[in-house]
Amino acid sequence: MNRRTILKAAVFPVPAIILSAGPVHAMHISEGILPLPWAALWFAVALPFVAWGLRDLRRFDREVPFAKPLIGLVGAAVFIISCMPVPVPTAGTCSHPCGTGLAAVFIGPALTVLVSSVALVLQALFLAHGGLSTLGADIVSMGVAGAFSGYGIYRLAGRIGVPWYAALFLAGLVSDWATYAVTSFQLASALAAPGSTGQMFGAVAIAFMPTQIPLGVFEGFLCVGAYRFVKARRPEVLMALGGGAV
Amino acid sequence: MFELFLDIFAYRDNFWTRMDPGAKLAMALSAIAVILLSSRAVLPLSVFCLCFACMLWIGVPVRLIAVRLTAPMGIVAVLALLKAFLPAPPGSSVLWSGTLYGWKLAATHEGLREGLLIGAKVLGAVGAMLFLSTVTPAHRIFHVLRRFRIPQGWIEVAMLMYRFTFVLVEHASEGSAAQRLRLGYSGIRRSVSSAGMLAGSVILRSFDQARSTHDAMVLRGYKGSFPFGEESAPRRQDLYGAAAVITVLLIFYSALEWRIFS
Repeated sequence: MNRRTILKAAVFPVPAIILSAGPVHAMHISEGILPLPWAALWFAVALPFVAWGLRDLRRFDREVPFAKPLIGLVGAAVFIISCMPVPVPTAGTCSHPCGTGLAAVFIGPALTVLVSSVALVLQALFLAHGGLSTLGADIVSMGVAGAFSGYGIYRLAGRIGVPWYAALFLAGLVSDWATYAVTSFQLASALAAPGSTGQMFGAVAIAFMPTQIPLGVFEGFLCVGAYRFVKARRPEVLMALGGGAV
Repeated sequence: MFELFLDIFAYRDNFWTRMDPGAKLAMALSAIAVILLSSRAVLPLSVFCLCFACMLWIGVPVRLIAVRLTAPMGIVAVLALLKAFLPAPPGSSVLWSGTLYGWKLAATHEGLREGLLIGAKVLGAVGAMLFLSTVTPAHRIFHVLRRFRIPQGWIEVAMLMYRFTFVLVEHASEGSAAQRLRLGYSGIRRSVSSAGMLAGSVILRSFDQARSTHDAMVLRGYKGSFPFGEESAPRRQDLYGAAAVITVLLIFYSALEWRIFS
């Protein structure tokens, strides 16, 4: 990416922020943005992961008697957390965490993909945040990339002896930034003119940087805060959910 | 944000809420499909105007529609500007050019047109989806998904999430209000700490609610899966209505794409 593109992309967030004077959401691809073939492709990528989540749900259901209500309720909790407005100082507005890193730590990545798919349908219907045609792409960015990267870094940090709070911070940070990077790639690959995907990816990534960089840091702290609260008040819940590994 | 998560309009009694949810879903998905396939802005904007008029007709406040459109339109604004200013294919006509700190900027007609087309598509598709959600409760949409062979486990989790989202929204709103009263969001450090505590309390509440919900369900005969019961057949007039709307959409799409009437 050349300097000219970087400069242009750095200038564009200003009108964008002025135009979107309300709350800015964690990055989901809105309904109508992706052309039909790309939307279908991302559905095909997302489906095996949702099927994996359903298989884990059946297994969890055999082990824990109240598994389905538990996954439904934890999913609802993550959905609420992902709607919590958070001030973003650099953008002068509010934004929202993804919540997938936190969910992956508590219930595992595959089940997080499952609850993300439901949460995304609810967000699309009620908040016009994401969409039905872009559901596959949003599942891949928020559910798959967010959950697996957050969970992966959390487990890796635990294995090499990183303290639990640092591991949790990394889980939140990496899951948020992975979601943002994959969404940027999805937008760039679908919308760029032939031969300019790399340029478009860089421009989209830079355009959304003012909200996504601080949001990722915030999400890291949110993970630590939520986990610390549960660990201090009800540590048995962590064991029941399987999130007490680190 | 929490007050936006309302579905009261879907429970009102009117022509659209009485319609079969499967027929409404089929109409909305067809509208989204033709909007995505459309290469001109007329069709998406027409669908948006129609949905907007229908939402006003059933009493949805303009402010709520506008607020829900803010996030998608914000993303579209960024993408439209990027499309306008990024290098266009050779032969593109320059709309505006200038320099900024010594760097040449040029917007092309073709790029701007593509950006505006994306904006129109987002307006149309989001309009169709918002209209669907304002006339159909989510649990009825999930219920009808069984017709499309969506796995029952997914539908059960979806219905539980939908039901308990409202319970947890209330808990989160009360917690957030209590924190604000105690100046819990008076600085960045305190805000982060308060948000973490609030998230933790929502998770603990969800765990307790899951146990009590399961106990209540077992007392009512729950044996590991929801008894959905027999699904009522859609009314014939709803099917005919949906078929008519889809046919009109296809004719409109074909007429615009292949310029049949010009």
